Amino acid sequence: MRDVMITGIGSTAFGRHEGRTVQGLAVEAANTAIERAGIDREEIGALYLGNFVAGPLSGQEVLAGMVGDELGLAGIPCTKVEGACASGGIAFRHAVMAVRAGFCDAAVVVGTEKMTHASGAAVTQALNCAMDNQSDGPSGLTFPGLFGLAWRVYAGRYGLTRDEVSSVIIKNKRNGLKNPLAQMGAELTADVIRQSLPIADPLQLYDCCPVSDGAAALVVVAADRTRAGSDLPIRVRATAQASGPARISGHEDLCSYKTTRIAAGRAFAEARVAAGDIDVAELHDCFSMAEIIHSEDLGLAPRGQGAKWAAEGRTMVGGDVAINASGGLLSKGHPVGATGVGQIYEVVQQLRGQHANQVPGARLGLTQNVGGAGVACTVSILERADA
Amino acid sequence: MPELIPATTVPVMRCAKCGALDPGPRALCKACHGALQAETVSGVGELISWTMIRRPPTAFREDGQYAVAVVRLDAGVQVTGRLENATEDMTPGRRVRAKGRLRDTTVFEIA
Repeated sequence: MRDVMITGIGSTAFGRHEGRTVQGLAVEAANTAIERAGIDREEIGALYLGNFVAGPLSGQEVLAGMVGDELGLAGIPCTKVEGACASGGIAFRHAVMAVRAGFCDAAVVVGTEKMTHASGAAVTQALNCAMDNQSDGPSGLTFPGLFGLAWRVYAGRYGLTRDEVSSVIIKNKRNGLKNPLAQMGAELTADVIRQSLPIADPLQLYDCCPVSDGAAALVVVAADRTRAGSDLPIRVRATAQASGPARISGHEDLCSYKTTRIAAGRAFAEARVAAGDIDVAELHDCFSMAEIIHSEDLGLAPRGQGAKWAAEGRTMVGGDVAINASGGLLSKGHPVGATGVGQIYEVVQQLRGQHANQVPGARLGLTQNVGGAGVACTVSILERADA
Repeated sequence: MPELIPATTVPVMRCAKCGALDPGPRALCKACHGALQAETVSGVGELISWTMIRRPPTAFREDGQYAVAVVRLDAGVQVTGRLENATEDMTPGRRVRAKGRLRDTTVFEIA
């Protein structure tokens, strides 16, 4: 099987894009990625698009074909994938598989979402489609509620303070200040967080990511087809995907996602590296508590120590492992179908040494993208391959 | 808000082949892929966790703020439901019992 490289990348800012369409954002990001890849459009053999809620919020489906057509990729297979908030990560994996297997030499990946034009009620209703609505749905559970449940179990088992959880928020919001693509970077204090609106106890407003618009795109190319003179190609060492139960009753432990553990195990085996080798990681911090759980499931922090590692600064830029140097979903934003592709965009910038919040000497990066209550998860490992 | 229909049992599903319980609704047994059939079990169990939903989605707005709980029933199956009389100083592990059904979910109370 062939080595696959990421060559061109493109992204809109994450945040509010008034008057734009979900497909328009995708075209902007993908066109940039294609231009940066320095590739002829005729060489692109497939397009994979990640999107979750364009149907309910924009009344628009068939996005993959529409975006391919606008990009001048007429006739090639254009496929939309949906795995709730993991749609982008899944789209990336499918593009890598197509190139690795030799079905084409180059493919475009784009994740896109437009959410801020819709009412809060409509957004919540659309996002709740990612739940098992026969099992958990009738109880009135929400996604912040899912992590409220996890928080209490974690606190009982390992001990957990409000301020330890807040250290994740303070770190990510501060990281976002340095990222020009981020929706809401901020300098926050534990006091301000403690006084914010209660959402789903013990979660408060600042524990939750914002509602966002945005798109991100990548061009993946067979290693032997990359061109000299293009931006530094970044090697895809692994892309793993796993599935799990959509309902809470399927979780043996509310503080650990089996889906993440399976995907991580596969990714580390495929890349032949260990969690301790990772320099920079973009994790799916849709809520503060989620980053803590994910960091442990991935083995980046020891079990029961994720919150303490954040509080001790071990997950900030310059720490043991930089987690969400981009600001993460909490600060960069969470245009749900675009998020997984945006994470890879950020890690590529890091490995090229060109990130606005650069992790010094970063050579190996990881992304983790989660859908629903752990119904889908992708873990990808990328490497700077010029030495 | 619809009325609570009193009930001390919880509707679940049991595999016709291996007898395993499942919270349902679901067609096939998770353990052996046998057909699941509806039955009820005692609504007594242990509170695994709970959260007070302060910002209910539109579909549940008429309920006001409410607590969602995960309960491990003594019958041997984990279910999601509502919890009445939740207090801030509670800890996981408290004994709970079913009080009734609200729409398609079970309402528990501290035993």
